[in-house]
Parts: sequence; structure tokens; C-alpha cells
Amino acid sequence: MIKSRLLKPLLLCLLFSLGFSYSWAQDKTISGKVSDAKDNSVLENVTILVKNSNTGTKTNADGSFRLNIPSLPVTLIVSNVGFATQEIKITSTDPVSILLVNASSTLSDVVVIGYGTARKKDLTGAISTISSKDLNQGPVTNPLQQIAGRASGVSVTQTGSEPGTGPGIRIRGITSLIGGNDPLVVVDGIQGNMDLLRQVPPNEIESVDILKDASATAIYGSRGAPGVVIITTKKSKAGKTSLEYTGSTSFDVIPKKLEVLNATEWWEQGKIWGVPASANHGSGTDWFDILTQDGFTQNHSLSFGGGANGFNYRASVAAILQKGVVLRSDFKNYIGRIQATQKALDDKLTLTMNLNSSITNTKGSPQSVGRAAFTSNLISNSYVTRPTDPVYNADGTYFTDASVFQYINPYAVSQTVINNGETNNLFGSLRADLELAKGLTGGWFGSWRKVDANWGYYLPALSTVTYAIDNKGVANVSNNRQNERLMDISLDYKKKFGNHNLDAIAVYEWQNQTYQGNFAQAKGFINDIATYNALQLGDLSKVLPGDMSSYKNDRTIVSFLGRVNYSYATRYLLTLSMRRDGSSVFGANHKWGNFPSASVAWRVTDEAFMQNQKIFNSLKLRAGYGVTGNQQGLGPQNSLQLVGASGITYFGGQPITNFVITQNSNADLKWETKYQTNVGIDFSVLHNKLTGTLEAFTSTTKNLLFNYSVPQPPYPFGTIVANVGSLSNKGIELMLNYKAIDKKDLTLILAGNVSLLKNKVLELSGSINGVPLNTDYVPWGPNSYLIKGQPIGTFNIIRHLGKDNTNSETVVDQNKDNIIDQGNTSPDRVMEGSALPKYTYAFTPVLTYKNWDMSMLWRGSGGNKIYNNLRSSLSLFESLGKGNVFKSAVSLGLFTSKYGSDLWLEDGSFLRFENLTIGYRFNLEKLKYISGLRVSATGNNLALFTKYKGLDPELNVSGGNGFGGDGGIYPRTRSFAVGINVIFK
Amino acid sequence: MKKIVILLSIAVSAGWGCTKVDETVYDKYAANNFYGTAQGADVALAGVYAQIPGNWDGVGYAGADRGWYDLNSMSSDEQVVPHRTTGDWELDFARLYLRQWIPSESFINNTWNWLYKSVFTANLAIEQLVKANADPAKIAEAKVLRAFFYYLLIDDFGNVPFYTDNTLTVDKIPQASRTEVYNFIVTELTANVDKLSPTRGGTYYGRFNKWAGYALLAKVYLNAGVYTGTPKWAECIAACNKVAEGGFALHAGAADASHPLGFKYYELFGDVCPDDETILAIYTKADVVGRNIFTIRSLGGTDGTRILGYGAWNGSVVPKDYLQKFDDNDIRKRQFRFGPNPYGPQPSGFINYSIDITSLDNPGAAPNEGARDQKFFPVTPSSSGGASNDFPIYRYADILLMKAECLLRSGGDVTLAANLVTQVRQRAGLTALPGIPTLDNIYDERGFELSWEGHRRQDMIRFGKFLQAHGLAPAADNHFLLFPIPTAALNTNPLLTQNPGY
Repeated sequence: MIKSRLLKPLLLCLLFSLGFSYSWAQDKTISGKVSDAKDNSVLENVTILVKNSNTGTKTNADGSFRLNIPSLPVTLIVSNVGFATQEIKITSTDPVSILLVNASSTLSDVVVIGYGTARKKDLTGAISTISSKDLNQGPVTNPLQQIAGRASGVSVTQTGSEPGTGPGIRIRGITSLIGGNDPLVVVDGIQGNMDLLRQVPPNEIESVDILKDASATAIYGSRGAPGVVIITTKKSKAGKTSLEYTGSTSFDVIPKKLEVLNATEWWEQGKIWGVPASANHGSGTDWFDILTQDGFTQNHSLSFGGGANGFNYRASVAAILQKGVVLRSDFKNYIGRIQATQKALDDKLTLTMNLNSSITNTKGSPQSVGRAAFTSNLISNSYVTRPTDPVYNADGTYFTDASVFQYINPYAVSQTVINNGETNNLFGSLRADLELAKGLTGGWFGSWRKVDANWGYYLPALSTVTYAIDNKGVANVSNNRQNERLMDISLDYKKKFGNHNLDAIAVYEWQNQTYQGNFAQAKGFINDIATYNALQLGDLSKVLPGDMSSYKNDRTIVSFLGRVNYSYATRYLLTLSMRRDGSSVFGANHKWGNFPSASVAWRVTDEAFMQNQKIFNSLKLRAGYGVTGNQQGLGPQNSLQLVGASGITYFGGQPITNFVITQNSNADLKWETKYQTNVGIDFSVLHNKLTGTLEAFTSTTKNLLFNYSVPQPPYPFGTIVANVGSLSNKGIELMLNYKAIDKKDLTLILAGNVSLLKNKVLELSGSINGVPLNTDYVPWGPNSYLIKGQPIGTFNIIRHLGKDNTNSETVVDQNKDNIIDQGNTSPDRVMEGSALPKYTYAFTPVLTYKNWDMSMLWRGSGGNKIYNNLRSSLSLFESLGKGNVFKSAVSLGLFTSKYGSDLWLEDGSFLRFENLTIGYRFNLEKLKYISGLRVSATGNNLALFTKYKGLDPELNVSGGNGFGGDGGIYPRTRSFAVGINVIFK
Repeated sequence: MKKIVILLSIAVSAGWGCTKVDETVYDKYAANNFYGTAQGADVALAGVYAQIPGNWDGVGYAGADRGWYDLNSMSSDEQVVPHRTTGDWELDFARLYLRQWIPSESFINNTWNWLYKSVFTANLAIEQLVKANADPAKIAEAKVLRAFFYYLLIDDFGNVPFYTDNTLTVDKIPQASRTEVYNFIVTELTANVDKLSPTRGGTYYGRFNKWAGYALLAKVYLNAGVYTGTPKWAECIAACNKVAEGGFALHAGAADASHPLGFKYYELFGDVCPDDETILAIYTKADVVGRNIFTIRSLGGTDGTRILGYGAWNGSVVPKDYLQKFDDNDIRKRQFRFGPNPYGPQPSGFINYSIDITSLDNPGAAPNEGARDQKFFPVTPSSSGGASNDFPIYRYADILLMKAECLLRSGGDVTLAANLVTQVRQRAGLTALPGIPTLDNIYDERGFELSWEGHRRQDMIRFGKFLQAHGLAPAADNHFLLFPIPTAALNTNPLLTQNPGY
């Protein structure tokens, strides 16, 4: 008790310093004890505050507290770091026993549903929630890496590990062709595209909610069709200051290298295939090796915050620093954010402000270089460069070969090309909620986001790139600005009467996104000193059309929406929502669309007749149907016939600006709509040891926006953006979580999920302006097509047979007419699967033992095919004279091929051991300044099981045009990281 | 409650005030407003001419690759791009030369799309010029341009979709027979050429003046037999005579040491096509208006560096059989490069091109195989992406040979025919042919005079030579006289009928 006596004055000082006044004139004393609900252990230092007063105390080492109050009844606010804050009404002076529940477990109980929150048990739609403790750990550079494999129906794919490139995400498959498949990202209420994720410091994420079905996403109407990712960042808790540092450093290596011929093998083959001796420059260069290095990724974040009754703030700074495994590919991202909440007007008004600024610096490896017949990223150019070519000439200049058409020396490119980008992101928001009457809250929310992306590029003649040599150096700068504003006004009414529980909200929303920018370029520099920093030093007499340009376009969306959540006796739940959206990008008479949804749920275990059964600890059945619109992927101005500039024409004896009609216009453009039905079961059995969710859904996208092929004549261009076809997706998703061991010192949770997905193109033909459009077998990737009745990206391909006596590839003549027809609908083509995976799965076990914790992520997908473009270009000896081929080409012995056959089509299934994290939490009771310390080690991409022959089977599965092929990727790294997390007192 | 009502009404009025979702266009012009002005109408006409210079993606008449020019030149006996043992060049160029092309070839698709986009542009210009009550000469000019595109369409594809109104939907645009379109072209030209300006050069350089209009009409009549089965030799002669009224003469052929190829003759293919002989030219300024890649594409890499200062492409070559017909004294043979330099010392880095080509596709030709062509000897600005040589579409030497051919074919004045041919030969440093020229003499002379100018396929067809074996190309089936309608066009328009044999 000595301690307690010492503590009291200290505590008083603290309270005073925080602006509390303490009154000694008390006439009633209440007392009690606070313990952890999990194991009943007592909790020390818990803050106890009397609501609407300045009175408070903290618990002693035995968890007890005493507090003098003027009168009863009172409401106590009991809060402690890591636990959910509780309000407890005290009506007598009898000692109370208070159980605090771990914050993370209560957090998963509250789900952000868009324009509000709901308790998980009241949900009627399909929503996955991942709380901070379940996020993937390690050298995370993008929040999506933290949720990979953590939610069923959500596919996160990372193509290569190029610094600064984030993963892609698809929620319940590909439901649109050009309308947009990227989900809406909502960060603390601010809506944005995927690039908004870059502004979120990974360590500052409290939870991620993913809205999957239409009844959940319909509230986001036009932008919700591809799903919604809602990120909630950490907030400070009242009565407690915090200071925390989290950091990690990883060492990144390339786990797999593609085998090309070395110099000796190249010349052996060269002699066989008649390569002229003049093409052999006698060196021995491993181009891949000299273009790669060990990479490093660092991640630091420092956050602090605090709060008192009615006020709290949190601030953080974060830095993500990446040095890529390919020479000169670096990325740095610095983020600062501050968030403050203030209550006023007798707690009736709550103001929340958010300010976030980030700066990213990119040193990019050139994305698109190479010879006319092979344009790829820089690293893939290392494969096609002859191993017998030296890096340097005898005089120290970079080697180049004038007898090869558009030769490039990839090392020279890596050393001399400058491609620097800086992006400044700024977003701010203000939310004001005012309690107008009991249960009725009026809200105003405004957010403003500005992104300035500035790029400088310099391609010197030294780079050996023909275009640069022709122009004696090319420099350009481009500046692109995004200005996104959103405002909404809402009214929320909550009412409980008897067994009826009602929560209704009505919202008006206005948003505008403006995109503008400019580009300037100069050529002909006498030296390379100023690079892109002084365009005026170039030869201005060489300024050409296209060397300068600017643009501006915008999109406005106006919405009216409403939602009613109604429950009866906690057992029967109903959600209805309706949204009416208008978008500027559509034709004059088609701007508005209506998007309703309805869903119901039944908490079966709350029924009286279920009280005696022993199987289910909880069981809920859900069903929902909704309509969502899509337009975000559609650029502005497509509905209009516009005139733009296109270079120069010679007329009347002089060159003048040439004006052209820029596109086929379609005044009938309208909303693409998705109709989705979802049914689900949430259950908990075996004394809550096994919990799970099983869902099934079907969705049909109608009025599919697409670049439909139209006949020339009469159209001046070959495609038009129109709403014609339809697309279907069906899926089943299962998530299971099994607490195999649940003891005080040892816990083992086995969790995992499986998703099955079936995609089908229902219709691609229809009519536009009353004229039939005949669009089927639309090329959608290398040998992949959109075919009615098949999944998108179906490989319809000619089958490999062998080779003829001239070593030319032979293929199967399916219809035996002695003609190999390579047309899109050719009878010689056969369907051989799709580029879309049919299933994805993940296994995420977590083991804790005393202070140790270990978690793993195993993730896989399969049932898809990949067309290995890179292998097809690097397997034919016809190009040996100017380049190199894979070692595997030797056994094939093909000189040339007229076909893109299934010889290059490979199984894309894989299983990846993606993450292993082992952590240790130190016991630090005795330290003066540190309350928590955890160190961890993470291995990423530790093993990959696949039959795929390319660098990595995890490729672009965006569903967009061109997916399903592998034209060479930036290597996917394997990384080893150590991390530290310190919480200061 | 009062508070609530106020707040609600603020919210509602704010909402009502902001329900506008009209689209604002900041960085382009709305087509209707733009073309409605007099200036817009002029620009619409200029826009049609923008279609003609050759450029990347196979657009334009001549100058770049994979478009109309390659389709009509590589399919003849005058040039081919062989695949190389060094791995360069796709095999589709060789397929053109070998008459093995298929409907999905890029050349065919590009040509079709270019021509129909050109027809759209011409229709647009005519519509706007008429609306703006423009100068009748300008309306006539746009109509002649449209006739020019339709002439190129029937020449390559036979029966083609025909429309003159951009608002028509595809079901209203039937595939018209070659004869129907031919009749339209003749009617349109005869009604409009006299309205065109007679000005040569200056503001009419690169444009259809009256003389270019008649040259086009002469070309259409010259090939009438191929298009409709009914020759129009007399009409062709009459049109040629009309061209002659323009006061054209053959440009001097004289030796000129200042020209890299040694003769003034090659000024015809230089920076500006001289308007004494040139009737219609394509203005070219690399990277600004079109480009001319023909010499750069032909020369070998190091030869380009040596002569021009940048790498050349080692692409197109002249087949041996074609080259060997040239007389050694013919100044037009100077356009070719093969063997050691006969005109002076052999500079260092000089590539000795062999006249023989061993293989076009598999394994391909060795790097130095095949004679090269420098007819369009690069003029500045130029780079490995192309030079700025203008390109003659019609010139007077062609008109003289056309008239001679018609005279011979129609039993006209053979002495006059011989005289016309002699004019062309003497300018090239050759003597007159002994006696009256035969049709084969005319055919060969056209080959000498007009090589690499885009006329060869049409000439070979008219003279019945197209399907015969030549060089490395074996004889071909009848159906190759027409190109197939491209696969992409058939896919999007089910009303189209493919040409027989494809």
C-alpha cells in the first residue's frame, strides 16, 4: 500500500497537468476492482473517469479503485490501453467488479459498413474484416500486402517486386471489362482509387473491412460495384498518451533466374544455325547478373497521440525506403499524418479532422525499352542480349552494334537513363456530427485530395538507344495533377422501441475529380549535364508536334442515398438501401442510375427452440440482393464527338496544325450495372473453438461497358465504347478458424480460406443505334479471347505438333483442310483453359507460446493458364544472330514458328510460402521508459511450388486487356527482415 | 425541432443546387461547333490531306512501312524485305513477295483502315464545306480526294463498301461492285476536276490541282479494263492530253556532281519534288509531316552510319531479276547499291552487297545479301526514323508512258508512242528503242522509270505479269490479283463478302 500512497499524489499531479480539477468535497465513495475478462487477472493503472465531470482515478496494483463522488447515480468510463473502453452505470455504493475485454477482440466485433458502423453480429451482407493483429507482417510497402490471403473472395496479386509498385486486388473476380475492376478505397471516410493506399502508413492501420456483396457495397453505388476496401486507421484513446516506434529492415534477393545460353553455348548454337561470325563479338557477359544487385527495404514509423475527455489526437510519420534488386530502381515514400477529434456543445457536436501528406520519390528503371520486335522492361532486355557482346568497347564507351536493328546495351541504359518521379499527396477531411435530437444525428463530411506527380526523364545518346542517338539526347518533364473533392451531408436516426431496433441514414453526396497536366520535351543536347532540368538547353529548332501538350478533364458524381437497418428481437435483421447516382461521363439522357439493395439475416441460435441444442454456439443465415453501377473505369468525354489536334498537316503551302475527330463517340453511353445475389452462413461450433463463414454468390453484369469492335466503314476508328454485353460470376467462399490449443501459455490457431470462382461471358453482341454489333472471339491477351459462354481470357489456341525438316514449328490442323487458319474463330484453334484462376486458397496458422509468437501465410491459386510470351520470343533460333535464347530452346531446336501455339501455354497454378514471422515480446515491467518491446524476424516468399517455367506465376490477373501473358517481369524477391516495435511510457 | 427543419432545408437546398452532372470539355472542341465555322471547313479539307503522308502504324500513301505502299510494292517484283540470318525482320514481308499473304496480314488491315478513315475524313470535309457554302473549288477538291481513296480501294480490294454520308449506319453501306464504284469515281472526277485550281506548286504543292485531277482520271481509265472488263484507252489518252495542258516537262537528267547519286534526275525524289515534272507530291518532313524511310530501310546498318551518320535498317532489297533488266548506262541504275563501288574508291565501312539473295524466309538472307535502293537519297531533317524526301504520286514521265501504252493498245499513233518512250529513255541517258516499242518495252520502261514509286503491282496486273513466276517467287493462283478483305473487317461487318479464293 506504500506504493498506492505514493501513487495518489503523482496521479493528482498528472490529472492537474492534463487540465483536470480535483475536488475534495465528496460525500459518497464507490469502489471496485477491474480485471481482464479473458483470465480474470487484475488490471493495474486502469483509468476510471466519471462521465461529464472532471473526477477520476486509476486502479492500484491489485486492480482496485476508490472514488469519491457527489451523488448517485453516475456513469464511469473505464479505459485501458489494449482494452475496449466501457461505460458502466453505478447506482449504489456496493463494490463493483468490472471486466475489461481485449480491444482487438472487440474491434472485430464492430464492422465499418460504409457511412456508418455495425456490430458484426448484426451484419446482413458479405463483409470480411481483418484487424491489425491479423495483418501480414514484415517489410510491408503497401497495405494490400498486409491482407493478402486473409480474406476469402479477395485476391491480392503482386507481379514482381519493383520498388514502388503495389499489388493488384480483385474482389469476387472480374465483373467488368473496362468499367473498372479496382475496388473503391475508403480511408477514414475519404474515397479514392487504389493509389490512395500509398498514403496509408502500413503500421497505422487499425482494421481493414472489405465489402464484397452488392447489399454491402450498394451504399457506395456507382463506385462500389467492384467491391470496397475500407481502411480505418489507429486512433488515440482518451486518458492515455502513447509513443510508439515500429521499424523493419529487409534484405531482398532474387530467388530464381531464367537460364539463357552463355557465351560458349551461344556460339556453339550460332555455328549450327548459320549465324555469321561477324555477330560474335567474343566476350562473355552475364547481362542479368550485371543488371541486378541485392535489394534492401526499410520501414520506419513513429506515432504518438493522446487524449482527454472530449479530445484526442494522433500523429505519425512513416518512411518506406526501397532499393530494388535491379540496378537503379529505388523508391522512397514519406508519410506524415495527424488526426484530431474534439467534442463540443455539451458533447453534442463531434469534429474530426484528418490531415495526411506524403511524398514519394521514384528512381525508375525504364519500363519500355528495347528493339522494335522486343520491347519490355529493362531487366527482360538482359535475356535477349547476346552473351558474346561486351559491355564496353576497348575505348571505354558502351558497346553497341550498328548491324543489329535498334540494338540497345541494357547496362548502358541502366547507367545513363534518368527517370525520376516525385509525387506529392495531400489529403484532408473534416467530419462534423451533431446530435440534433435524441437518436437523430446530422453529419457533414468534406474531403479534399490533391496529388501532384512530377516526372523527369532523360535519355542520353550514351544510352545506345537509337531514338536517343538520332535526337542527340531526349529530355522531358511531365506534371500531372489530380484534384478530388467530396462532400456529403447525412442524417442518421437511431431508435429502439421494444424489440424493434431501427437505424436509418440518408445522405446527399457530391464528388468531383479533376485531372490536368502538361508535358514538355526537348531534344538535341550538346552535353548531358543538365539532363531534364533545363529543356531550353536543347536544340529548340527540333521542337516537333507532340513535344508539348496539356490536358484537363473531370468527372462529377452526384448521389442521393438512404439505408435502413432494422432488427427485431436481435434475431431478425433487415437492411435496405437505395442509391441514385448521376455521373457526368455518360450520354446526356443516361446520366442517372438507381441502385437498390436488400438483405436479411436470421440469428438462428437466438431462437428459443435452439437453446437446448449443443452443436451450435452461434448460427446466422444471411441472404441479400443488390444492384450496383459502374463507371469509374470509363474515362470522361467518351459520349461526345470531339475535335483534337493530331500533329501537323501540309496545306496551302505551309505546315499547319491538323485537327481530327478524336474518337468514335457514343451519345447512348450509360451505367454498367451489376446484379448480385449472396447467401451466407456464419457459425461457431465446438464451444466456439471452430468458427467459420460459408458464402455463395452469383453476379451478372449487364450493359457491359466495352470497346466494341465496329466496322470501318462507316466508323473512322475500329472500336467504340458502348454498353452491350453481359458477364457472369459465380463463387463459393469458405473461411475457417480453429482454436486448436487455447491455454494460458500456448495457443494455436489454424485459419484458412478457400474461394472458388467461375466466370463466364454471357453476351458480347447486341446492337448500337439499332445496328447489330457482331463482337465475339475478341482478342483479350496473347491467344486469349472473350468468347461467349467461356470465361474471359479463354485461351483459344493452335496446338503444337512438332517441327518440319526446316525446323519450323508444325501445328495440328484440327479440321484437316491443310490450311492452318489463325483467325480468331478458326476451327484450328482449341480452347485450353482460361487465364483466370478457378480457385484461390490460403492457410494462416498462428502459434503463441509464452512471449513467443509465430505466424505463417501459405497462399496459392490455380486452374489458370499462362501464355509464356517471353519463352516464345526466346526459344526460336531465327533471332539468335541478334540476340540470345533460353537454354531450353536447344532441346526444342526450333528455327521459326508462324504460330503462337500451346507450346508456350503453361499451367499457372502455384502454392507460395509467402510469410513466416517469429516474434518475441519482452517483459519490461521494471523499465522506466518502455512499456512494450517486441522483436520479430520475417521471411517473405520463402518457397514457391509451381510448374510454371517463367520467373513467377503470380502475374497480372487484372482481367484487363492483355492479361494472361508473361512478357517478362521485374523479379519477385525473396526477403529476410528483422523488425522491432517499441512502446514508450 | 425547428433546428432540425432548418438544417434539413439547408441540406436539401444544397443537394438541389448541386445535381448538375453535365460534362464540361476543357481541352478539345465539340465537333459540331468546330466544323460549323468557315475556318473549320478549311481545316476539314486540310485534315484530308493529313491522311496522305506515310507514317507509323501503316497509315498514309507512302513514306513509312506496313501500309498501302508496302502492300502494293512488296507484292510486286521490285522489292522485298527478306528475313535475315541475324534474326532481323518478320517473315510477313517475304509472304507478300511470294504471294502467300493471308487475310490477317497487318499490311492489308492497315491499308483498309487507312483508306476508310480517309473516306470518312473526306466525307466530313465535303459535308462541312457544303454547309459553310465554301468556295466550289474546295468542295471539288475534297470530292476528288474521296474519289482518289475509292480508286485505291477498288484497285486493291475489288468490291468494297461504298458510302458518302458519315451518318449512315453499317447496314446502309452495302458492298458495291468494283464497276459501280468505278462508275462513281469517273462521274465524280469528270464533274469536278475542271473546278480545281490550275495553279502548279506554291499553295497548291501537295494538293489536287486540275492537272493532278486529270492524272488521277487518266490512271482510273488506264486500268478500266482491269476494273470493269471494258478498257478506256481513248479516254485515258484524252485525260493525259489534259494533263499536258498544264505545261509539264521532264525534269533534267543531267550529270550533277553535287548530288550524292550524281544526276539532277534524282532531284525528283529529293526535298521538294520539282514542279516542272511533278504533278502531285506528298510533302514530307520527318517527324513533322510523315516520313520517308525507303533508303534508310534498305541500307545496311554500318553503311547507314557511314553515309548518313545513323544506323540504317538492313531491310528492303531489289530482287536480282528486276535489277538485271536495267542497262548499265541507265542513270536510273544509280539508285541501286550492290557490289564494290563502281563510281569511285571504296570508302572504309562500305558494305559490298551481293546481288544474289539465297533465302527470303528460312534460314533467311545473310546480312549483306541483296542490292539496295537509294532512289530517295535521304534529305534532312533525317534520322534512323526516316528522312524528309517528298514522294511523287504522279509525275509527267508516268503520263508520257501511260499515253504511249494507250496508243499502242488502242492502235493509235505508234510513232507518237515511240517518241514519248524515247523522251523518257533519253532523259535517263539511253538511246531510242530500235523500231516501234512493244507493250513489253513499255512494261519494262515503266519498271525502270517508276521503280519503288508504288505503281508496280498495278502495272504488273494490267500487263498480265502479276501471277507469273519471278525471282524467288513461284507462279501464283488467280485469286491473288485481289487482296483479301481483312479479317478484322469481316469480323465486325457480317454483310461483307470475302474475295474469292481466300
